[in-house]
Amino acid sequence: MSSNMIMLKSSDGASFEIEEAAARKSKIIANMIEVECVDEDKAIPLQNVTGNILALVIEYCNKHIVDDDDDVATEEASEEEEEAKKKKVDDWEAEFMNSMSLETMFELLLAANYLNIKSLIDLVCQTIANNIKDKTPEEVRKIFSIENDFTPEEEEEIRKENAWAFG
Amino acid sequence: MSSPPTSSGEQPLTEKQKKNPQFPSLPDDLVVRCLARVSRLHYPTLSLVSKSFRSLLASPELYKVRSLLHRTESCLYVCLRFPPDPNPRWFTLCRRPNRTNKKSTDNLLVPIPSPPFPSARWSSHVVVGSDIYSIDGTINDVSSSNVLILDCRSHTWQQAPSMLMARDHPTANVLDGKIYVAGGCNVPDSSNWIEVFDPKIKTWKPVTSPGAEMCGSDTIVSTEIDGKVYMYGGYKGVAFNPKEGTCEPVDWNMCKGWVWFSSCVIDNVLFYYDDGVFKWFDTNVRLWRSLKGVKGLPKFPSHSRVKLAGYGGKMVVLWDMHYGASGYRERKIWYAEIVLERRSTKEIWGKVELFDAVCKIPESYEFVCVLAAIV
Repeated sequence: MSSNMIMLKSSDGASFEIEEAAARKSKIIANMIEVECVDEDKAIPLQNVTGNILALVIEYCNKHIVDDDDDVATEEASEEEEEAKKKKVDDWEAEFMNSMSLETMFELLLAANYLNIKSLIDLVCQTIANNIKDKTPEEVRKIFSIENDFTPEEEEEIRKENAWAFG
Repeated sequence: MSSPPTSSGEQPLTEKQKKNPQFPSLPDDLVVRCLARVSRLHYPTLSLVSKSFRSLLASPELYKVRSLLHRTESCLYVCLRFPPDPNPRWFTLCRRPNRTNKKSTDNLLVPIPSPPFPSARWSSHVVVGSDIYSIDGTINDVSSSNVLILDCRSHTWQQAPSMLMARDHPTANVLDGKIYVAGGCNVPDSSNWIEVFDPKIKTWKPVTSPGAEMCGSDTIVSTEIDGKVYMYGGYKGVAFNPKEGTCEPVDWNMCKGWVWFSSCVIDNVLFYYDDGVFKWFDTNVRLWRSLKGVKGLPKFPSHSRVKLAGYGGKMVVLWDMHYGASGYRERKIWYAEIVLERRSTKEIWGKVELFDAVCKIPESYEFVCVLAAIV
């Protein structure tokens, strides 16, 4: 089980060691490795990601690299096993997302976008979607830090015509 | 504009930071990727958040992402008219956000923009993908060749190329992605009775058919099953086969049902409702059979206008009832979703999944149509 380890460094100076295979989940890092601009002794600086968020990204990548290994190990897995494994991943992802605040979720999405980790972007977007779908317009404004840019007249018109939406 | 000048050397906080310092804001493309995963039932609420949110929800980018993620879904549209106002009013079904008042209902019909064009009567409406086509009947009592398109993604209206013929009370159906319009011409003959529109090349073409001779000028209703357009007019039914360009007479057994009542086609089966009973047409034996199950719906008042439509494989039923709080002077439109299950060649069962009052309406109203678009 010898695999290459690489170092990542967050914007606030924290260093993390991660298996190369896990780090490759990020297209950006995979690219850096491909073009050999990764010096084995030096950490890759990630200027847009803080340490607490990078820790979450690494937790996600590590979890999913293990799953990918499993795929190789059990090539002839039955449908049931496949299903059970998928459920395990789904449960883990649900718990992973449940453990964080919306604020962290947004930071994680920005980091996943910056590092280009598609499956993590999808996971966070879906969780945010689940979070906003039953909210009133005011609650959504708070979540997305959106200013209500309707004029007072438009606002009144909207409230009158759409009283149902404001609970 | 009116913000006071800052006297200190500190950077003034931006509006965003002031309002909500803890939340990072997401770039539009990430917001779009989140919104694409939300059901369209929630879009009317979300579009009240801000102007920028509203424009994101109507943006082509959002619909591109929805389609890439296979998140397109059936969306229900209803057209009503409230005389004496001649203009049609369009609504879409949406879900109410988390309710503080538990007595209120979950589903609602909310208004969308009405067409900014002269209002027509006796129009026929069909869906091609995410577009609703309004094939106009008469405008100011004159036959019309006007065709309007409602883009259900952005809720905007535009004019489509006019039909070759002006038609009064035409019927329209979609087969293989093309719109077949029949009837309503002043001087019908085999060359003008039917015409077809191909949305891909946006062109109308005449279709030769013997339908005019068989049916007369007017078709009062039409529907589409088994790749054929079934039309009824002049006390006769005809089935038009566009592939072969032929028209065959339709047996009275079939015509005596759906022609007179609200009907819909779901998975190639024709349903209608009359007087407390839903029926479906068994094309094998050419008989109407009762839809079994369908328990739990309130009794529809006898004067109620009942409309059916297919909605993502389910059947939806809309009807009106007076309600007590208005002293029985006003009505509400009610809405039910019925899941269909075919248990054998002779049996289809319906299970009522939900029903709700979805819209208040005045005493005088006209139910124009209900349709589901894929958005």
